[in-house]
Amino acid sequence: MEEKLLNILNELLQSTGRDKITSINDEMKLREDLGFDSFQLAELTVYIEEEFGIDIFEDGLIATIGEIKAKLK
Amino acid sequence: MNEIFYIDYSTNDSKTYSDLFSDIKQENKYTNICQYDNFYKVFKHIVTSILLDKEVVLLDSDFTISEKEDLLSDVEIFETEYSFENEIDFNHLKKKISESNSNWKITLFTSGTTGKPKKISHSKSTLIDNIRINEKRINDIWGYAYSPTHMAGLQVFLQALLNHNTIVKLFGLPKTNIISSILKNKVTHLSATPTFYKLLLPKETSFDFVQNVTFGGEKLPETLKNQLSELFPKAKFLNIYASTEAGALFAAHNDTFKIKPNLQSYVKVENDVLYVHKDKVGHSDNIQFENEWYNTGDIVEIVEENPLTIRFISRKNEMINVGGYKVNPHEVENLILTFEEITEVKVYSRPNSVLGNMICADIVLTKNKSLTKQELIQRLKNHLQDFKIPRIIKFVETIEKTKTGKIKRA
Repeated sequence: MEEKLLNILNELLQSTGRDKITSINDEMKLREDLGFDSFQLAELTVYIEEEFGIDIFEDGLIATIGEIKAKLK
Repeated sequence: MNEIFYIDYSTNDSKTYSDLFSDIKQENKYTNICQYDNFYKVFKHIVTSILLDKEVVLLDSDFTISEKEDLLSDVEIFETEYSFENEIDFNHLKKKISESNSNWKITLFTSGTTGKPKKISHSKSTLIDNIRINEKRINDIWGYAYSPTHMAGLQVFLQALLNHNTIVKLFGLPKTNIISSILKNKVTHLSATPTFYKLLLPKETSFDFVQNVTFGGEKLPETLKNQLSELFPKAKFLNIYASTEAGALFAAHNDTFKIKPNLQSYVKVENDVLYVHKDKVGHSDNIQFENEWYNTGDIVEIVEENPLTIRFISRKNEMINVGGYKVNPHEVENLILTFEEITEVKVYSRPNSVLGNMICADIVLTKNKSLTKQELIQRLKNHLQDFKIPRIIKFVETIEKTKTGKIKRA
């Protein structure tokens, strides 16, 4: 699951002209650390839902990688 | 009475009403074009325009140069010098507001239904005369969560200004700063889109000082409303119906809008569509009236005939609502079709829990040409504001058409 998530994050990072990351940790913040804005977070929900079948923002906005992983378990 | 006019927690900007009027007095040049990143500058410009009784044209700060040239192509841009001999203060503003012969005009742009954004101008009578000025409101502190260049933001600004209230900027701030700003400044009134309120969830703290929570710009989902009741335990909830064409017309505590007595003769429903009389509508060359009535394009259900009470079923059919911003798919399609690598395009929306709706595009590439998603988005960024740009892009072989050759839309 972590690998798939990492791939999705990297695709999104690359498509906005930023560098790929080699690893993720639970504390990483989506907005502050990965630099995602609302449009990118919206895209993220689409890719994650396509891959895992879960809408991670359904109950409200989450802020970190750890919170995403918790939703996907 | 609040001495503080404006607070921006993230830049440590704090301006009193005295600051506002002395800043205005210090300047001596005035132009009708108002385009700034900084909200205080936008507010100051609008106040100046009222004091000088001159036109002001509001432009989003993120309009690109090419968008701006297009929008201003039929606007007479002017610059003039001015000076106030004596000190100016809030009483001067009040006096100007109450004067009957006013040349004041404020122009905004809204997404049109056929491509180019529509220019709409409002005067004192269609915009300011409806603002509720009341002794009871004197200590209101507003959490400002809209852009000042759109109708919702303009209405909240005028409401706060004319009641001598404090405006606390919340727009564009990260969640922690929004929460701190609301708590630190004891915000009493919030007005924002449902997408903005979602930023405050999951609940970290409750905001006990907030008395009024107002929603506008998008339909409010029931689940969100319930979650927000926990965040704002003492607040009254209000839904506002507003449009750039007609300002903020109605308010409701739930989803049924009872039309106030003074508006009953200016509003009607025909074939399930809401019409507003032209006396209540701003001026625009692009608005077509049907016998003095403006077709809002909003589909409504009549809950009661007398007094007229309605429920909104859908708003402006084809417009896509992205976090409160309205996107005209035709405008985006027309632009994409100017790229030689693309022969056909369909711009549409899909629901999204972050933004309400997301813009998507199906693209048919020209034979022997190539264009990546990244390249397309990069190009669009030079011509369009961010919220209009499709993020989910699919390259397809064909796009389904109707019998008359139009793109088939759901």
